[in-house]
Amino acid sequence: MTTVRRMGGRGGIAPPWMFAVPALLVYALVMLYPSIVGAGSAFTDWSGVGEERSFVGLENFQQLLHDDQALGALRNTLLLTVAIVVVQNGLGLLLALGVHTTIKSRMVLRVIFFAPVVVSPVMVSFLWKYVYNPAPDAGLNAALGAVGLGALRQDWLGNPSLAIWSVAFTVIWQCAGYSMVIFLAGLEGVPPELHESAMVDGAGTVARFRHITWPLLAPAVTINVMLSTVGGLTLFTQIIAMTNGGPGYATDTLSTVLYKQAFVFGKFGYSTAVALVLAIFVAAVSFVQIGYLRKRETAA
Amino acid sequence: MASVFERPVSRRRLLQLAGGVTAASTLAACGGSSSGSGGGQLKVIGAGSQEAGLRKALEEYKAKNADFDFNLSFSPADQLQTSLRAQLAAGNAPDLHAVYPGNGSAMSMVQLSKAKLLGDLSDQAWTQKIPTGFKGAYQQDGKTYIFSPGTSVLGAIYNKKAFASAGVEPPTTWSELLTVCETLKKKGIVPLALGAQTPWVTQLINYALVPGTVYAKQPDFDDKMAAGSASFAGSGWADAMNKYLELQKRGYFNANPNGTTYEQATSMVGTGKAAMAVQVSAVLQAYRAAAPKPDDLGMFPFPATDTVADNWIPGGIVVGISVSAKSKKADQARKFIEFCAQPDVVNAWAEAVACVPLYSEGEAKVDPVLKPFLPYLADNKAVPFMDQRWPNAEVQPTHFAVVQELLGGKTTVDGALKKMDEAYRKSA
Repeated sequence: MTTVRRMGGRGGIAPPWMFAVPALLVYALVMLYPSIVGAGSAFTDWSGVGEERSFVGLENFQQLLHDDQALGALRNTLLLTVAIVVVQNGLGLLLALGVHTTIKSRMVLRVIFFAPVVVSPVMVSFLWKYVYNPAPDAGLNAALGAVGLGALRQDWLGNPSLAIWSVAFTVIWQCAGYSMVIFLAGLEGVPPELHESAMVDGAGTVARFRHITWPLLAPAVTINVMLSTVGGLTLFTQIIAMTNGGPGYATDTLSTVLYKQAFVFGKFGYSTAVALVLAIFVAAVSFVQIGYLRKRETAA
Repeated sequence: MASVFERPVSRRRLLQLAGGVTAASTLAACGGSSSGSGGGQLKVIGAGSQEAGLRKALEEYKAKNADFDFNLSFSPADQLQTSLRAQLAAGNAPDLHAVYPGNGSAMSMVQLSKAKLLGDLSDQAWTQKIPTGFKGAYQQDGKTYIFSPGTSVLGAIYNKKAFASAGVEPPTTWSELLTVCETLKKKGIVPLALGAQTPWVTQLINYALVPGTVYAKQPDFDDKMAAGSASFAGSGWADAMNKYLELQKRGYFNANPNGTTYEQATSMVGTGKAAMAVQVSAVLQAYRAAAPKPDDLGMFPFPATDTVADNWIPGGIVVGISVSAKSKKADQARKFIEFCAQPDVVNAWAEAVACVPLYSEGEAKVDPVLKPFLPYLADNKAVPFMDQRWPNAEVQPTHFAVVQELLGGKTTVDGALKKMDEAYRKSA
C-alpha cells in the first residue's frame, strides 16, 4: 500500500508523485518524443517518405524568410486571428449578456447559441460551402434575393478579396457560442448584491456593466482571448474544407502552408520548420497575452 | 472525500482501459480503417477514379483463385496525398496502392521509386509491351514500377441536346469554338462549365490548349525545359493562358467559376444548363450519372488553334497501382498485377474507366465517345499530361493557384507563368 503524506499547514492530502509517472510516461511517449524527433526534421531535407535525408542546418528557416507564400499566409493568419478574437468574443459577450436575463426562453436560447459548437468543424464547413454557393438561386445569395437585397449577392468563397472574411464568419458563427458559455460562467459569478447596491446609488445599466460586470469578467476574458487567439493562429480545418487555401493563395494560413509543404509538395523538412516557427510564435503570443491579461485580472 | 481511488477499479483494469483508449486514439489519428488487412487478405487502396476497373479486375482474379482475398478501399485524389502518404511514411503501406504515373506529384511513380517505396515489376513480360512514348510514365532508371491500364484523353465533354437546341456542331478550330460559344450564350446556355474552386479542375483548359500552342510546334519542349533552355513564360503557355482568359472575358464560363465546384459544374453539363466542360475522359461516368441518359453526352478534342493540323490532344496514362516495397504479400500482389496486364483484362479495365487500353490483341474495345480522339493517338499527336514530366511536386499546385488568381483578377499571365517557372526550377 502506497503511503500518503499530509500537506504542511493546509490540511489536504498530497498523493505520492509516483501516481503521476504513468501519465508522464504516456505524455512523453506520445507528445514529447514525437515532437522532439519532429523538430529535428526541421533541420533536414526529408521528403516525408523513405529513409533518405540530409542535415541542412538552418537552410529551411532561411528559405522561410524569403517564402512569399508563407509570408502571405502569416498575414492571412494574423488577419483571421484578429477578426476572430475581436468579433467572436464581442458577439459571445453580447449573447451571454442577452441570455443572462430573466427572459423565459433563456435556456432554449443558450442551447441554440451553443449548438454549432458541438458539430464537427468539417461538417460546419461543408454546410457553409452550400450556403456560400455563388449561384444567384442558391444558399445565401438566394436568401438575399428573396428579401430584395439581390444587389448584395457575392461569390463568397471565389472572390479572393472576400473569401477570407467568409471563412472568418463561419468560424465566428460556430465558436461564438463557446465564448458565450465562458462569459456566462463569469456572469454567474458576479454577486447580485453589487448590482443591487449600485442601483440604489443610481447607477444605470452601462455604468454597472463598466464598473462591476466588466472588471469581474476579467478571468473569463483571459480564457476566451487565449483560446480564440490560439484557435485563430492554428486555424486549419475550415480553410482546407472550404477553400483549400484558395482562390490562389488568398486564404492560406501558416497551418495550411505547412500541410501543403508536407503532403502536397513532399517537403517534410521545410514543413516542420514552418511548424516549429508557428509553435514558437503561438507560444510567444500566448505568453505575452497571458502576462498582460493576468495583470489586468489582478488590477480588477 | 469520494475519489477515483475509492472506486472498485483495479490497477490492471485501469491500465487495460488506458491501453484501449491509447490504441483507439492511435487508430483514429491514423485516419484509416480499423479493419486492417485481415488474415491472408491483400490490402489494396485505389484511386477513386479507377474504382470500376480495379474492382472488376480484383473480383475476376478472386473468382479464378479460390485462396485469394482482398480488402479494397478507395481514396479521392487529395486523400491519396495525405492518408496513403502517411502510411507510406510510417512503413505500414497497403500491399497494393494507387500511384500517379511519371513525375510531378508527391505520390508519383518517380518520387516514390526514388524513396525506394515501390516494388520493381521489370521482370514481368508485359513491361516489354509498354509503347516507347509512354515509358516515362511507367519507368524510372529503366525499371518499371507501376501498372496502369492505359490512356485517358482530355477534351470537351458536351451535352448533345444543348448543342442541338442551339443548332451547333463540335468545333474543330479555335475560331469555330468561339462561334459555337457565342451561339450557345445567345441561346441562354452557359457555353463552358468551369468548377475552378476544385483545384485540379483549374488546370484542364490549359492542358487542353498547350498541346496545340506549345507541343505541336515544339515536340521536345519538355526536354528543353529540363535542360533550362525553355521556360513557361517564353513559350506557347502564354498563348494558352491568354486564350483561357479570353473565354472568361467573353463571358463563356458560368458566373463565378472560382466559387463553383467540380460537382456543380458536372451537374450543369449533365442537366444541359451548360453545354460543355473541358475534362478528362476518366470522369465520364460521373458526368453520365448527372445526365438523364448516358447517351446525352459526347466528347470532342478541344481545339487550340485555327490550324487543324496543329490541334494536338492531351492524352496521359491514368493513375495506376504499384506493389509496396515493404509488402509481406509482395508475391501475391505481383501475381495480381501480372493478371491485370493480360490484354483482355487491360481492355476490360480500360473500358470500365473510359480510357484507351495500353495495348490490345486485335481491335481494342473503346468507349464510343472516345473515337474522335483515336486518330490523334494513332498519329502521335497526343501529349502526356504536362505534370507527368515536371520535375517536382510544386509546379502543379502552383499552376492551380495561379489559374485561380488569374480568374480572380489577382495576377497577370506574365506573373502567373513567372511563378510556374520559379516552381519548376526548384529542386526535385
